[in-house]
Amino acid sequence: MIDRENQNTGKYGNEEILIFAITLGKRMLQAGAETYRVEDSVSRVLESQGVRHIDVFAIPTAVFISCEINGEKMNIFERIKGTNIDLERFQALNQISRDFSSGVYDLKKAKEELDKISATPKFNLFWSWLGACAGGGFFVFLFDGGVMEFIVSFLASGVTALCFNSLSKLGFSFFIKNVIGGFIAGLFGFSFVKLAGLIGLNCDINLVIIGPLMTLVPGVAITTGIRDVIAGDLVAGNAKIMEAVFIAIGLAFGVGILLRMVF
Amino acid sequence: MDMIFKLLAGFFCAAGFSVMFNMPKRLIPCAGISGVAATLPYLLILQSGGGLILAVIAGSIAVGLTAEFFAYYTRNPSSIFTIPGIIPLVPGYSLYYAMLYLVQNNVDQAAQKGAEAVITAISIACGIAISMSIKREFTAIKNRRK
Repeated sequence: MIDRENQNTGKYGNEEILIFAITLGKRMLQAGAETYRVEDSVSRVLESQGVRHIDVFAIPTAVFISCEINGEKMNIFERIKGTNIDLERFQALNQISRDFSSGVYDLKKAKEELDKISATPKFNLFWSWLGACAGGGFFVFLFDGGVMEFIVSFLASGVTALCFNSLSKLGFSFFIKNVIGGFIAGLFGFSFVKLAGLIGLNCDINLVIIGPLMTLVPGVAITTGIRDVIAGDLVAGNAKIMEAVFIAIGLAFGVGILLRMVF
Repeated sequence: MDMIFKLLAGFFCAAGFSVMFNMPKRLIPCAGISGVAATLPYLLILQSGGGLILAVIAGSIAVGLTAEFFAYYTRNPSSIFTIPGIIPLVPGYSLYYAMLYLVQNNVDQAAQKGAEAVITAISIACGIAISMSIKREFTAIKNRRK
């Protein structure tokens, strides 16, 4: 523990604290934290340093902070591009904000921890493939599918998720990306069913396509959006819902084009 | 037997998605269990004819409470358990059918399935919000007793 005396506002430069707080908020939003949690964490971090008149406003595309440090009025704003849900990072960032506000970390240590997080290990390719396979494949059972549909859907989900991951690196806009994503989900679902048909195994295509599609559907985004609206963060919630709706429309376009071609 | 099979499916769905969302390794079983918590009331209510909305709300309340429980014991934010946990309830199936009917020029049924998807999503969010306020009341009462 660091004693409280060393921790008052005079010790660190005004900008230093503010930049740390906004970087924390930005990273949290990028990892998929809820809006209210980001606003709470950032204000708690600033409060613990004796900053007054704190206002934090977070939306999925930007964070704003306005406050008064040592009698000086300050504003800071950062633009956010590209969020993807990363629970490990989310959890670690939450821990840093807690430890910093309760005085376990000083600013230098907290900054070091923050830099360390950007390099957290991801699951390797095999595990993320298996995760996508399981995530998509087991849906078939929830909708009364058989073992045959499960196997086909399991494989198709994995391939789709891998393709979609490499598609994300190409830098398309999110709408076009999801049109292509929906198309390949349908394509793999359909061609795997046909392949199984060639060796004499019949399965229901509608059940199979659900698996790969499920790995792309913005179910989490739409629920967190609605939850933000219920919690009173109307702008952030609306932005999230809007994005989710357009992802769903994109997927619908993609799958629709494919279904048009085959049916 | 069928029921147990579906619960296992719920477990692996949630666990699979938690890998996609880069969950810390030791917490993956917890994510799977919140998937089971979603599936159990959902299936029971659907089978007894309680209707879709009630089933989804009950499922997501169960997810929310399980997540709060895990959050309390592992000292983590509860939403890292709810995010994979709600996956078995997410309306991917009705969304797909809405698209399919739309492509087949069957607008009536497309609208019906689309509305079903929207209502399911709203119900999930409501369930999570309800469980969060239950937890908040619970801690308030506990603090008052002390």
